[in-house]
Amino acid sequence: MLELVKELCALNGVSGAEEEVRDFIRAKAAPYADSIRTDALGNLIVYKKGKKPTGNKVLLAAHMDEVGVIVTKITDEGFLKFDFVGGVDRRVAIGKPVVLGEKKVPGIIGLKAIHLVSREEEKKVPKTDSLYIDIGAKDKEAAEQLVELGTYGAFVGTPEEFGTGLLKAKAIDDRVGCAVMLELLKEDLPLDVTFAFTAQEEVGTRGAFGAAFSVTPEVALVLETTTAADLPGVEDHRKVCAPGKGPVISYMDGGTIYDRELFETLRDLAEDNHIPWQTKEYIAGGNDARTIQRSKKGIRVAAMSAAVRYLHAPASVGSTADFADMLRLTRLFLDRMAESC
Amino acid sequence: MDHQEVLGRLCALAGPGGFEGTVAREAARLLEPLVDRVQVDRMGSVVGLRSCGKESAPKLLLDAHLDEIGFLVTGHEEGFLRIAPLGGVDPRMLPDRELTILTQPPMLGVVACLPPHIQTREDMDKSQPMKEMVVDVGLTQEEAQRLVPIGTPAVYRTGCAPLGEDLLCGKALDDRACFAILLDTLERLAGEELDVDLYVLGSTQEETHSTGAITAAFGVMPDLCVAVDVTHGDSPDAPKDKTFKLGGGPVIGVGPNCTRWMSKRLERKAKELDMDCQIEVMAGHSGTNGWDLQISREGVATAVLSLPLRYMHTPVETASRADMTDCARLLAQFIRDIGKEVPSYA
Repeated sequence: MLELVKELCALNGVSGAEEEVRDFIRAKAAPYADSIRTDALGNLIVYKKGKKPTGNKVLLAAHMDEVGVIVTKITDEGFLKFDFVGGVDRRVAIGKPVVLGEKKVPGIIGLKAIHLVSREEEKKVPKTDSLYIDIGAKDKEAAEQLVELGTYGAFVGTPEEFGTGLLKAKAIDDRVGCAVMLELLKEDLPLDVTFAFTAQEEVGTRGAFGAAFSVTPEVALVLETTTAADLPGVEDHRKVCAPGKGPVISYMDGGTIYDRELFETLRDLAEDNHIPWQTKEYIAGGNDARTIQRSKKGIRVAAMSAAVRYLHAPASVGSTADFADMLRLTRLFLDRMAESC
Repeated sequence: MDHQEVLGRLCALAGPGGFEGTVAREAARLLEPLVDRVQVDRMGSVVGLRSCGKESAPKLLLDAHLDEIGFLVTGHEEGFLRIAPLGGVDPRMLPDRELTILTQPPMLGVVACLPPHIQTREDMDKSQPMKEMVVDVGLTQEEAQRLVPIGTPAVYRTGCAPLGEDLLCGKALDDRACFAILLDTLERLAGEELDVDLYVLGSTQEETHSTGAITAAFGVMPDLCVAVDVTHGDSPDAPKDKTFKLGGGPVIGVGPNCTRWMSKRLERKAKELDMDCQIEVMAGHSGTNGWDLQISREGVATAVLSLPLRYMHTPVETASRADMTDCARLLAQFIRDIGKEVPSYA
């Protein structure tokens, strides 16, 4: 599955422009799907029959989109003003390369040299509205040949394994969830499963509204990533979780109180099968589960995530063993769901 | 000359101050076909000589430095590395930055950044000082101590690639873009008769103490020298009066570090070539090797020729290929017949 994660992370799909990721997933999923469709929000919804005919009982969900930038203005000198799409700490964007639009125009987020900065100025991080993208255009007209207002830009980063079992890549959030679902699609499933590859999670779990409404499952498992802050100097109770300690099974985050029974099911399956697991030791963040849970008359939700350092940054870091364990545990979860109905 | 090709090769190599070996070898290889002799001196600098064949001809030294800014590992903490700057690093470039740690074999490192949930809004408006940063190499404390000893150097993990039609963007363009200019200059002079012995220096350790230039100049004993280095290029957030336009042509230094007849000769040659050029007035230190070259032995007539470079000392340093070509054209024209103008100090 690791190669698939890398392939997926190399694709660009900033919220609202998920085409490249969706096309890739659709092509991979189609041979195994009983039905496949793209809805109005850009979600890709794949249905696959399993051994037990259970219909819409179980939904697996992972989002295709990633954080990035969008061009808001082109200056007379040919530089691009921009806004962030999704939650990006601007400190991780300074001096980073981006690729813009379908033409994949290379650009960099510039910052004047340290020699030209006063001692006072040096202590502050420039505001987003003073940042700009340099595409090497000599003036506005030249820039307009390459980009237009509303052109999306994605961060750049080659997926790369390093250290002891870690992967560095952009968009691990949430291509790892997509990879787990694509792997499962290839397998014989114990029950009918709907796979929702959602759009626009990073700008307010927008895609999940439509996907949950149209699918209306009884149970949904969201496959995600979550912030790890296991760095030196961080107090233990704020480290949240750590890559390499197994999938994170959430009981609560900033958006959802998870279904207790499903939480316990996942926890016990991990314990019984000697799969390492952890939970979030800090209540923060949120994902598609919050939206799915409150759809129609309500849907029971669970979430399983890979602990990822430097989430929403061009170089995010996760554990390859955790990715594999997410797949194993999801498989066991589907088996358990099939047994219980 | 294909600057993109040459810089693609040179900038991909790691050569922070004191660790220029690999870059020096590649520089020597590129220099070899263009000169009569190349050697790497005791301080690691590359020195090429193109003799003019005339007895007691004046010696003209052209300098561009090979080193780049970088980092040194100073400690280990929970498997992460502590680092110190090697040259003038902007800490604001560092959060979530990929580095190449120069172990054998080299490894990836990511400068760790704290996620928003453990920071206040005020924290996030402050730039984090380097002493608070750590580098993630994905190792345990024991592994990190064993595999990445204290004193291991590191550099930005990138090379050099085109940006738009005319620009090149990457690390170490300061000052390898200028070393490429020197190669280009030699190419332009190939087969021509000269009246000076031309020494081409790829110097080490400029970013820290100009050690390579100081020692190489002592060995070469030049009569004249030109320090070819970068100066600040324009960008929307930089003051216009302290920066030079990318694509605006070579920048000729004027001030105490620049011997007046040499600055004037550069200006005159630009005019002869009908080439746009820019003037940089430097009231004191030029911030280049020219500062030290000028006072080598009993003193050397010195010119400072600069290439405008945006985002200096970052992994996204950006320069214009047209400017690089013009710098080489100007330098070649400057060198032709310069022997006649060398003053006698008797």
